[in-house]
Amino acid sequence: MAADSEPESEVFEITDFTTASEWERFISKVEEVLNDWKLIGISSGKPLEKGVYTTGAWEEKSDEISFADFKFSITHHYLVQEPSDKDGKEELVEDALPLPVQDLLCMNNDFPPRAHCLVRWYGLREFVVIAPAANNDAVLSESKCNLLLSSISIALGNTGCQVPLFVQIHHKWRRMYVGECQGPGVRTDFEMVHLRKVPNQYTHLSGLLDIFKSKIGCPLTPLPPVSMAIRLTYVLQDWQQYFWPQQPPDIDALVGGEVGGLEFGKLPFGACEDPISELHLATTWPHLTEGIIVDNDVYSDLDPLQAPQWSVRVRKADNPQCLLGDFLTEFFKLCRRKESTDEILGRSAFEEEGKEVADITHALSKLTEPAPVPIHKLSVTNMVHSAKKKIRKRRGVDESPLNNEVLNTILLFLFPDAADKLADGFESRTSTSAGNNPPPENEDYNLFSQFKSAPSDSLTYKLALCLCMINFYHGGVKGVAHLWQEFVLEMRYRWENNYLIPGLANGPPDLRCCLLHQKLQMLNCCIERKKARDEGKRGSMSDCSPGGTSGDTGKGADHSGENPDKDKEVGKSWESWSDSEEEFFECLSDTEDLKGNGQENGKKGGAKEGNKEPVNLKPEGRLHPHGKLTLLHPGEPLYIPITQEPAPMTEDLLEEQSEVLAKLGTSAEGAHLRARMQSACLLSDMESFKAANPGCCLEDFVRWYSPRDYIEEEVVDEKGNVVIKGELSARMKIPSNMWVEAWETAKPVPARRQKRLFDDTREAEKVLHYLAVQKPADLARHLLPCIIHAAVLKVKEEEALEDISSVKKIIKQIISHSSKVLRFPNPEDKKLEEIIAQIMSVEAIIARARSLKAKFGVEKCENEEEKEDLQRFVNCLLEQPEVSVIGAGRGPAGSIIHKLFVNAQRVSAVPPLDEELRRSGSSEERRLNMGAVSDFPPPTGREVILRTTVPRPAPYSKPLPQRMYSVLTKEDFRLAGAFSADTTFF
Amino acid sequence: MPRPASPRGDVIRVCNRRGGARRCCSCCRRRRRRERGLEMASATDSRYGQKESSDQNFDYMFKILIIGNSSVGKTSFLFRYADDSFTPAFVSTVGIDFKVKTIYRNDKRIKLQIWDTAGQERYRTITTAYYRGAMGFILMYDITNEESFNAVQDWSTQIKTYSWDNAQVLLVGNKCDMEDERVVSSEKGRQLAEHLGFEFFEASAKDNINVKQTFERLVDIICEKMSESLDTADPAVTGAKQGPQLTDQQAPPHQDCAC
Repeated sequence: MAADSEPESEVFEITDFTTASEWERFISKVEEVLNDWKLIGISSGKPLEKGVYTTGAWEEKSDEISFADFKFSITHHYLVQEPSDKDGKEELVEDALPLPVQDLLCMNNDFPPRAHCLVRWYGLREFVVIAPAANNDAVLSESKCNLLLSSISIALGNTGCQVPLFVQIHHKWRRMYVGECQGPGVRTDFEMVHLRKVPNQYTHLSGLLDIFKSKIGCPLTPLPPVSMAIRLTYVLQDWQQYFWPQQPPDIDALVGGEVGGLEFGKLPFGACEDPISELHLATTWPHLTEGIIVDNDVYSDLDPLQAPQWSVRVRKADNPQCLLGDFLTEFFKLCRRKESTDEILGRSAFEEEGKEVADITHALSKLTEPAPVPIHKLSVTNMVHSAKKKIRKRRGVDESPLNNEVLNTILLFLFPDAADKLADGFESRTSTSAGNNPPPENEDYNLFSQFKSAPSDSLTYKLALCLCMINFYHGGVKGVAHLWQEFVLEMRYRWENNYLIPGLANGPPDLRCCLLHQKLQMLNCCIERKKARDEGKRGSMSDCSPGGTSGDTGKGADHSGENPDKDKEVGKSWESWSDSEEEFFECLSDTEDLKGNGQENGKKGGAKEGNKEPVNLKPEGRLHPHGKLTLLHPGEPLYIPITQEPAPMTEDLLEEQSEVLAKLGTSAEGAHLRARMQSACLLSDMESFKAANPGCCLEDFVRWYSPRDYIEEEVVDEKGNVVIKGELSARMKIPSNMWVEAWETAKPVPARRQKRLFDDTREAEKVLHYLAVQKPADLARHLLPCIIHAAVLKVKEEEALEDISSVKKIIKQIISHSSKVLRFPNPEDKKLEEIIAQIMSVEAIIARARSLKAKFGVEKCENEEEKEDLQRFVNCLLEQPEVSVIGAGRGPAGSIIHKLFVNAQRVSAVPPLDEELRRSGSSEERRLNMGAVSDFPPPTGREVILRTTVPRPAPYSKPLPQRMYSVLTKEDFRLAGAFSADTTFF
Repeated sequence: MPRPASPRGDVIRVCNRRGGARRCCSCCRRRRRRERGLEMASATDSRYGQKESSDQNFDYMFKILIIGNSSVGKTSFLFRYADDSFTPAFVSTVGIDFKVKTIYRNDKRIKLQIWDTAGQERYRTITTAYYRGAMGFILMYDITNEESFNAVQDWSTQIKTYSWDNAQVLLVGNKCDMEDERVVSSEKGRQLAEHLGFEFFEASAKDNINVKQTFERLVDIICEKMSESLDTADPAVTGAKQGPQLTDQQAPPHQDCAC
C-alpha cells in the first residue's frame, strides 16, 4: 500500500512503511507467530475417528504479543495427530475445503466429555486463540473487537493460514470468542451470542431451527435438510435413599470402655462425607433429521428414557474429609513443632525443685565417681523421677494431656507383658523370642526394610500408631509429649529392673529399621546382658564359686550408679556366662591332670620372655570341643572357648566409628593403627582360647579361628611313614604381625573375667539420654516412616476389598517413591508431603468407589453377569470423565439410574410442586410438570447442534458447511455459530 | 570462596558441614539429566564416612566393599588396584580396612572408598554392619579353593540381607594365575554368577589380570543402575504433576555432592 505512493524510486533502500502503526505491527507479529508455528498453508489430516477428541492427546503452545502496550497471549491448541502418509496426494486436490471447515460437519466427536470449549462448540481439531494476557483484562468496546477481528482477518489472508483464529472478547468468564477461518474461496465466520437470560422462543428445538435458518439466509427452496444432535443433561444431587454410611468416629466412645488395644494398633480409613456429590446423566440423540421429532413450547418428543445414548459422569467432592489423610497430615504437622517435651508439659513450674535435687545428686556422684563422667546418669534419673512425680501432682490440679484411662490402655497395648511384669521377667523374654521367630517372608512384612521403618509387629511401629492416634484425638502435641515421657520412663524402669522390652527382635540393632527402633533394640541388648550378668551373680553366689565374692562387689557397683568406668573392674564384672559356666565347673575334675602345661604356652608363641602369665592349671570358659581336633602339643581335645559377643551397633554409632577409622587415612601406619583399634575382639578371643585350652599355641588358635592359615602337607618322614605336617601360612609367619603380637600379649583369661568389649551400662545410659532429649518433632520424624508404612498397608488392605486396578498401580508407585525418599537420613518435607498427598488421593478414590458401589447397589445385584457389568461400569466411572451406559435407559445400569432419579423426584418434587409451578415462569418447566410427577427433573443443560450444507451467500455460490451449537442452562444461554460463505461467487 | 546464592537453605547447610570443598553448588544445579545417576549415587553415599578431612577434591564418592572367605586374596586385590603393588603375604586383615582411589567418569572425579574386610567367620557380624552403606560389592573366591567357592552363595545371602536393595555385586574368582592348582572351573564360576545375577570376572592380583577392569566395571554398573532407577522413578513420582517434578528431581542430589 505504502509503496505505491512513491513514484521515483531512486532510493536504493526501501523503507517498509507497512509496519508503521501499532496496528500493523500487531498484525505482522501475529503473522510471525503463525509462521513460527508452521501453521501456514494447507492443513491436512485424516478424517476424524469416533471419540478421538477424548482418547487423543491435546497439546498447546503459546506466545505473547502486544498491541501497543496491551499484552495478548496467543495460544495454539491442537489434537496430536500422526502425520498422514498421504500428504502429497492431498495437496494435489486444489480448492478443497479447509479441514476445519470440513470438521464442522463431522458427527464423530459431538459432545466430547473433556475438551476446550471451542472444541465442544465448533468441533475443531486445531485452532489459535488470541486473548488478553492478564486475567482481568478484557476487550470490551465494539470498535476494539472489530479491530481485532480485522487484524486476524488480514493476518490470515496475508499468510494463507487455514487454521481458525479466534479472539476472546468481553470478560474472560463469559468465554466469548469470535473468529474466522479462511480457505481458497471460502471464509467461515465464528460468531457467538451469550445471554444471562434465555429468550423464551429459544428454549426449544423449533425456535433454534428458526434462528439457524434465518441466520443462514438461504434463498433455496426447499431448504436442504438440517441435521440435529441433541443432548439433555440431568443432574442428580439427592442421594436420599443412600445416606453416606461412615460417620466420623466418636471420640468419647473410643475413650470409653470399648477401647481395645486393637484400636490403637490401627489407622482409620474412609471418608466422613460422601465423596461423590453429583451424578450427571446425559441423554443424547446423536443424529436426528428435521421433522422427525417435535419439540416446541407446548410439546416435546424428547423423552430421556427413549434417548438412544446415555452417558454418565460423576462429580467428585473436592477434597472430601478422609480419616487416614487427616491422621497423616496432622502427624506430619508435628514434625514442624519446635517445643521440647519439657516446654510442652510445662516443666518450668517446678524447675527450682529439680535443680535442688540435681545439686544433691551431683554431690553424690562426685563422691562415688572419682573420674569425670560424661553423662550424669544419676541426676538424669532423679530429674526424670521428680518430673514424673511433679506431673502426677500437676495432674491433680489441672487436666493432664492424657487421662489415666487412655494412658493405661495404651501402655498395656504397647507393653502387653506389663500385667505379669512383677511375677518375673520371664514372660517378656518369651514374648520377645516369639517375635524373633523367622518373620513371614511376605512382601508386606518386609516393607519395613524398604521404608526404613520397623516391622509391623514391633513396639516401634505400635508406638508410632499410638502417637498418631493421640495426636489426633487425645490432646495433640501435648498428648504426644506426655505419652513419650511415660514411654521413656518405662524404658528406664525396664533397664533398671532387668525387664526386657517386648516387641523387638532379639539380636543386634537391625540397620534396616529406623534409628529409633535401633536404639530400642540396643537398649534391649544392654538389658539382656545386664540381666544375664545379674542372674549369673546370683547363681554364682549361691554356688559359692570363686567368682562369688567378686560378683558381690560388682553387683554393688552396679546398683550404686552404673559406673561406666569399668577399667578397674576387669575380672570382676564379667559374669554373663555363668549359665554355661556352671556346666563346666563340673568338668573341672576331668581336666585336673593338665598340670604344668602352662609352661608350654610360649613354645610356639614367639618371644618367650613375654610369657609372664601365671601357670594356668584349670581350663576355663569352654564352650565345646572343636570336632575331633586336638591341641598340637599336649594332644588334648581342642576346645572352642566361650567368647564375648562383639558390641552391637546402631547406625549412628557405626557411622561414627567408620568415620574415625576413615580419618586415619590410607597410609601403612593408618592401616596399622586401624587394625590395632579393632584388635580388642581378636585379643579377647585369644585370651578366652588360651583360658579354655591350657598349653595351646598360636597354631591351635589359627586352626580354629582362621583354618586356612594353617597349611597341612603330607610328608614322608625318615622312617618312610606318611605324616601330616602342618605349619602357619606365610602371612601368619610375618614377624611381629598383628596376630602374633596379640597372641603374645594375650593372657589366659576366660571371657567372663575379661574387660567388657561392650559396656552395656554406658550404652544403655546413652540410649536413655538420647530418648529423653527427643522433642515431639524429632519423634514424629523418627516415626514418620512407620506411619507411612502403616498407611500404605492400610490402603493396600482396603484396596484388596475393592480391587481397583488404577489404585493398585498408584500404590506401587507410592511404595517405590517412598522407599527412595525415606532411605535418606533427612528426607525433604516437600517429598514427604507428596507421599502423603498420594496416599490421600488413593484413599479418596477408594472411598468414591465404595460410595458408587453402594449407590448402584453392586453388592445387592443377584445376577452374576449383571453384577460384573455393574462393577465394570462403576470402575469406569472412577477412571473416565464420562461413561456411556450400555443399553441406555433400558440396560441394567440405565434402569438403576432411572430409579435413582425417580426416587429423588418422588421425595423432592411432591410437596413443593405447586409452589414451583407458580414461581416458574418458563414454559420448559411448565411443560415437564404437566403430567403427573415426571421421572426426571427438568434438564439442567440442553445442547443442540444444527448442521447443514447450503450455498451462501448467493444461490449460485458453492454449498458450504453451516453449523450452530446452542447450550441452555439455568442462567446461561449461548449460541455459537459457524457460517461459511463463498468468497468467489457472491 | 565466592558462592552464588542458593535457592535452598539446606544446600548451604550441607556445604558448610563439608568444609574445605572447592566446588560451588551452582555447578550441581546445572547438571544435566544424564548425569543424575551419578548425583544420586553420591547422595546415597552421604550416609557414611564422607567427612574425611583429607582429599575433598572429588565430585562423587562411591563406597565399595570387598568380601569373601579368608585368604582368597581380598587385600592383595585391593593393593594391586590402589597402589599397583603385590606382596605374596599380607597380614591377615583384622576387622575392616580401607583404601581410596580416584577415577574419572564423564569428566567427573569419582572417589572410590574401598573397604577391605576380614574373611574369618568370627568377623561376620562386625563386617556385615558395614554392608548397609555400600553401593557396590566385590564378592571374591579363590579358584584354587573349593570351599571359598562354595561359600559364595552364603555371602550373597548376606549381601541380600544386610545391604541396600540396589547395591551392585561383582563375582570375582581370584588367583587365576595359579592354573595348576585350579579346582573351580571358569564355567562353574560363570554359571554361579549368572544364577545369582552378578557379573563375573576371573582375576589375578599377582599377575594384575582384570583387577582394574573389575573395579571399573563395578563403577559403571553402579552409575547405570542409579540413573536407570531414577528414570523409571520419574513417572512414578507424581503421576499428574510431572512437569515441575522433573526439574525437582534434579534438586535433591546436589545437597550431597562434594561441594
